[in-house]
Amino acid sequence: MSAATPLPPPDFEVASAYPEARWLRQAAAAHDWRAIREYAHRLPQDTDRTFVATSVGDVPGVEHPLRELVAAAPDDVLAATLLAAREVNLGWEARTASRAERVSRERFTVFQEHLRRAEQLLIRVTALDPAQDAAWSERLNTARGLQLGQNEARRRYDRLAAYRPHHFTGQARLLQQLCPKWGGNWEAAHGFALECMRAAPAGALNGGLVAEAHLEHWADLAKDRRPEYLRQSYVHRELVEAAERSVLHPEFRRPFGWVTVQGTFAALFGLIGDQERAAAHFRALGNLASSYPWSYLGDPADAFVTYRAAALARG
Amino acid sequence: MSQVIHHTQVDGIPALFAHTTGPMLAGLVFRVGMADETLGQAGITHLVEHLALHRQGLADYHFNGTTKAAFTHFHVKGTDQEIVAYLNGVCASLTDLPMDRLETEKEILRTEEAGRSTGQLPLWRYGAQGYGLVSYPEWGLTQLRPQDVLHWAERSFTRENAVLWIAGEGIPAGLSLKLASSARHPMPPVTSALPAAPAYFSGGKGGVLLDSVVREGVAAQLYAAVLERELFRSLRQESGFSYTAATDCEARGDGFAVITAFADALPDKQDAVLGGFVDVLAKLQVGRFEQADLDAVRARADEALIAPHAAAQLLSSAAEKVLAGRPVYGPQELRAELWAVTPTDLHAVALEASGTALMQVPAGHRADWAGYAPAPTRSSYTVTGRRFASAGNDGTSLLIGAEGVSLTGDGESVTVLYRACAAKLTWPDGGRRLVGNDGLTVDVEPGFYGIDPQTMATIDAAVHPSATVWLPPRQHQPRPASERKATAAPTTTATTGGQGENPPTRRTGGQTAVLIVFGLAAGLWSCMALLLTLFGATDPQTTTGEWIAMSLFFWVVAALLAWPAIRILRRTRRT
Repeated sequence: MSAATPLPPPDFEVASAYPEARWLRQAAAAHDWRAIREYAHRLPQDTDRTFVATSVGDVPGVEHPLRELVAAAPDDVLAATLLAAREVNLGWEARTASRAERVSRERFTVFQEHLRRAEQLLIRVTALDPAQDAAWSERLNTARGLQLGQNEARRRYDRLAAYRPHHFTGQARLLQQLCPKWGGNWEAAHGFALECMRAAPAGALNGGLVAEAHLEHWADLAKDRRPEYLRQSYVHRELVEAAERSVLHPEFRRPFGWVTVQGTFAALFGLIGDQERAAAHFRALGNLASSYPWSYLGDPADAFVTYRAAALARG
Repeated sequence: MSQVIHHTQVDGIPALFAHTTGPMLAGLVFRVGMADETLGQAGITHLVEHLALHRQGLADYHFNGTTKAAFTHFHVKGTDQEIVAYLNGVCASLTDLPMDRLETEKEILRTEEAGRSTGQLPLWRYGAQGYGLVSYPEWGLTQLRPQDVLHWAERSFTRENAVLWIAGEGIPAGLSLKLASSARHPMPPVTSALPAAPAYFSGGKGGVLLDSVVREGVAAQLYAAVLERELFRSLRQESGFSYTAATDCEARGDGFAVITAFADALPDKQDAVLGGFVDVLAKLQVGRFEQADLDAVRARADEALIAPHAAAQLLSSAAEKVLAGRPVYGPQELRAELWAVTPTDLHAVALEASGTALMQVPAGHRADWAGYAPAPTRSSYTVTGRRFASAGNDGTSLLIGAEGVSLTGDGESVTVLYRACAAKLTWPDGGRRLVGNDGLTVDVEPGFYGIDPQTMATIDAAVHPSATVWLPPRQHQPRPASERKATAAPTTTATTGGQGENPPTRRTGGQTAVLIVFGLAAGLWSCMALLLTLFGATDPQTTTGEWIAMSLFFWVVAALLAWPAIRILRRTRRT
């Protein structure tokens, strides 16, 4: 890489990696539910449809037309799932990203109110059609936010896995629940991530869960103990295996969520100091970035630039 | 075999007859039950039932009595002569109760009650009145006077409130059912302590318990049976969270039936049982009934209706229907209804059930996330009156006013108004507990709140004497720290003079150490005692007398060593 051509700054716009997200947001803003319905219907059977719900759920104000739609047709599972995703989004916005004990009581009430609304819509959706994968993965979010318990979250994941055994978003959301910050423990979190990776088809995103578990574990430690954690040889070994099974595998195609997974590997290899491997992930990313994992490393844009520079200088 | 229920009369009492072979079955059913009582006289119907059966003594035919919410049954199985002797005897006793047995029967009922476990759902649904009284102890037993019992029997166990049923070759000769006369009782009023439904409350360690009130009929019974299959499949077969998953559908008598569903849970799986339970209900609420389930439960119901004794099996519930003024259907009519039920009918029941549901979730769990409103544990009204602050520094106060009492704290209150006071429990040490018609309770402990005797006297004077329940001395007075929690939720058995169970307290580290040390010592000593007992007799140096004495001594020491460990085990629990 020549020093004369400065690298472009990171691009955190989801639609840069997935133009469909922009199209979905525009269609939702235009209330073009028929187009969204047809789009969702045309997606291949095994697509992780969570991104349809989260993309629509990002559109400000979309809850109003969706509420009317659901009131008129309570059995419309797509409309109810989109509305639930929007409610979850509104809830989490109200809660802010800080940890539960730091959230003010009032904000917490608003947060839970949105989540209860979402949950009641989703109870109906999964009752009408238990194969609705996006609804189950949203129900893993509501279970976590409403603190319904570890076994209940696991039960929901098992219901999802009965139809979709390698559902990446569902697994990632259960993984968050299995972390100590949401009432789990590291043994369960790492164990689940490895289990998902090993069961998944070659080149699937699921290996990214192993990286996510390590990043979460690293972030949970006191600052002075973090380097020591990443120096452990098994951590590196697991990350190498996970990357090779997923984003570095020849079968790998770039499904929704790949920017986060590539970024998590890039960040972890960068933190470990394995710049060669970090560089491979940065090259795959180009300038694409997502707030996770970079927000864990300080200002997301600064962190991306710093770690990318370090990796590409040596790797 | 006849599949018909015949209507006739015996001694002016409506009678239902079905033809069967084998031993004759018969019953006398009265339109009176616990729901007709008040909390202050709770148990009076049961007491009459017991007194009426006393003279049957040790008859060797099979008979019994059952007191339910709205009906009291006397039933018997035997020969013609035995049936006649039983029924004539019960009627004779009801018009001439053996009042010399009153105190003894009260004692027997208290013993029976200690082994009775009633659910909390009725009290949360109906309050401390009407159908809610089945949740409460028989608090009337201590103060019921002979004249109260006689009056109750004269008013309720009468010709107009009785229906006879007989299953056999014919109506036996010699029946002489002489009963007093009074007006037919209407069905007990259905009270409500639930401002909104579906609702939930938290309590108990077990699993999830739910009941719903729906229109009575075959569709309701089939819905309950399908729900049981769904719960069993989901919670036991698919996930293994529960061992038991069961439902029941029982006619309340007023044209509605109560469907009850239960699933137990391992302590660490309660959250998943609750979640799975909610999802099973949701599946049926959106109308997803499996045809195979409907076929299976229908086939089982049909089998019962074409069985040789089908009409006979229906008689006791048919007698209740006559007393409630409801139509009586025989097996043929029920089969027609059974085969007409469609999945759409089941869906209608599911929706009705969801709109009236009351769910009991394990302590520490909630169901508001699933759309169930919390059942009230606080009052919306606070009395004005003198304030007495708790001596326990727990921030609670008692307000004692002209219209009632309120326990306040944390900006909330629990109020019992004297005019809506179902019972006032009274202990000899001065403690009082007021139970409101809505089931909420307020404990008035003069010691903890520094209440003067004059103020206590105003409470005693304000509550109607018939609502006063005298209880024997209690071993422990409630501590102020636990008081608010104990009184805020409707309570039934707590601190009622030793009838309530004291929950085990958490075991401390020191107690665990004592448990281990004494447990080990007792174990070792017991081994020595065992060796001595087994082999001491063959030792030529000891006589048989010495051997017995030494064995006894060793076993006594073993028992003394074991005692502290056993006491700790019994009184504490691991957490």
